[in-house]
Amino acid sequence: MKNKKMISIVLGAMCFALTLGICVQIKTVKGSNSIAGESNRENNELRAEVLKYKEKYDNQYKELEKAEKQLEKERQNSTQNNSDLEKKEEAITQGNKIIGMTEVTGPGVIVTLSDSKRDASTALNASDLIVHDLDVLSVINELKNAGAEAISINDQRIVPTTSISCGGNIININGEKVGAPFVIKAIGLPEQLAALSRQGGYLEILKEASVGVELKKSNNITIPKYTGVINYKYAQNVK
Amino acid sequence: MKTNLKRGKVTMAIAISIACFALVLVMFMQFKIVNQTDITAIENMREAELRTELANWKAKYEETETKYQETSEKIEEYQQTKQSNEETEKLVDTELDQVNMTLGKTDVEGEGIEIILRETEDEDISKIKAGNLLVIVNALKSAGAEAISINEERIINMSDVVTINNTFNDFIKVNGQRILAPYVIQAIGNQTYLESALLGNGGCVDELKKLGHDVSINKINRLKIMKYKDEIKTKYME
Repeated sequence: MKNKKMISIVLGAMCFALTLGICVQIKTVKGSNSIAGESNRENNELRAEVLKYKEKYDNQYKELEKAEKQLEKERQNSTQNNSDLEKKEEAITQGNKIIGMTEVTGPGVIVTLSDSKRDASTALNASDLIVHDLDVLSVINELKNAGAEAISINDQRIVPTTSISCGGNIININGEKVGAPFVIKAIGLPEQLAALSRQGGYLEILKEASVGVELKKSNNITIPKYTGVINYKYAQNVK
Repeated sequence: MKTNLKRGKVTMAIAISIACFALVLVMFMQFKIVNQTDITAIENMREAELRTELANWKAKYEETETKYQETSEKIEEYQQTKQSNEETEKLVDTELDQVNMTLGKTDVEGEGIEIILRETEDEDISKIKAGNLLVIVNALKSAGAEAISINEERIINMSDVVTINNTFNDFIKVNGQRILAPYVIQAIGNQTYLESALLGNGGCVDELKKLGHDVSINKINRLKIMKYKDEIKTKYME
């Protein structure tokens, strides 16, 4: 009998806690929606348009991915009975990996840069406490110097046309907004890439400025493919 | 008495399961809403933001569509030329050319600009460093540069630009090759975009000028950028 009471009390308490949590959730969600709705109602049309194009893009991108896989298959099929062509086919596949058009895996390091947890009012220059576009650019450059073969920042793959620019409290990479903490993944010889945390290296400078820096070696890193398209409007191959 | 107890148990079980079901249901609703936060982010944007966002997605959509059409055409061509080795070879060659172009393994030509950085001879002024060049390259890329080189060293995906600290004289290495001043940076792309990305008050070129270095920018209509000279090797990625 005692046991039963205990169980029902525990159950009751659990249910109560859950209901409470859900109530809080519902309230927050409702609250945030109504605030946004009131101030921005006039832009609904524009918003719908944005959503429409985003959806269109998403669908088109899925189609493109399918087509690219099919193309690879077709290419393999067409070249399999000719060793010369097979070599070229391999060069295409390998090249696509290097320029970031396909997902790659391998050993490497994961560097995480996060804004300082220090109180900004205690710092001489509060700007030193946050991670800037230049910091990310420098870390990427050092990774390349250490022999990285593929790099991504918060899952944005670094391709030949990638630029890193400041966009206020976020940075723009590949035209996408990326915010702190910045998780930078790089494939290469882990020991060599880990040399980034050497004395006098850029990571050390960031640490001095009390920016959060973490470097982890890993044997299995997956770096996603570039989600954009590299097009040439001005440049042409010279034969 | 026994049946009563059983009945009580059954109703209790049912009650609890109904409660659990309701809770799970609400939870799923919550998850769905949280999943949609991507959309609610758009809800919170102001008009100007929305317009840039719209342009951004439109451009991306159009790019993807063109690429999709190109890819579909290629697939079709492969299917049609299955029988003939020669024609397949042509297709493979064009594809390989395109990949090599992006890799930086081909010489390319097009309109663009050339930036010449001459260091001042005044020894009190700090020299041009790798960081300066890196920022210029980054600015050029953000302005849509399609090919870039520094002193004939082609900038490829994994190119690095570093200052080597030497006891007597610091120097800059690009792609592991030592380069010397004057630094000549060439970039192919829209001339106006490229130039305006560098100029401007407080821009990376402006900064160098203020220090006292000599910077000149020339627009060139047929600029040729040489290919990356070494082999691009990978060992660790699969």
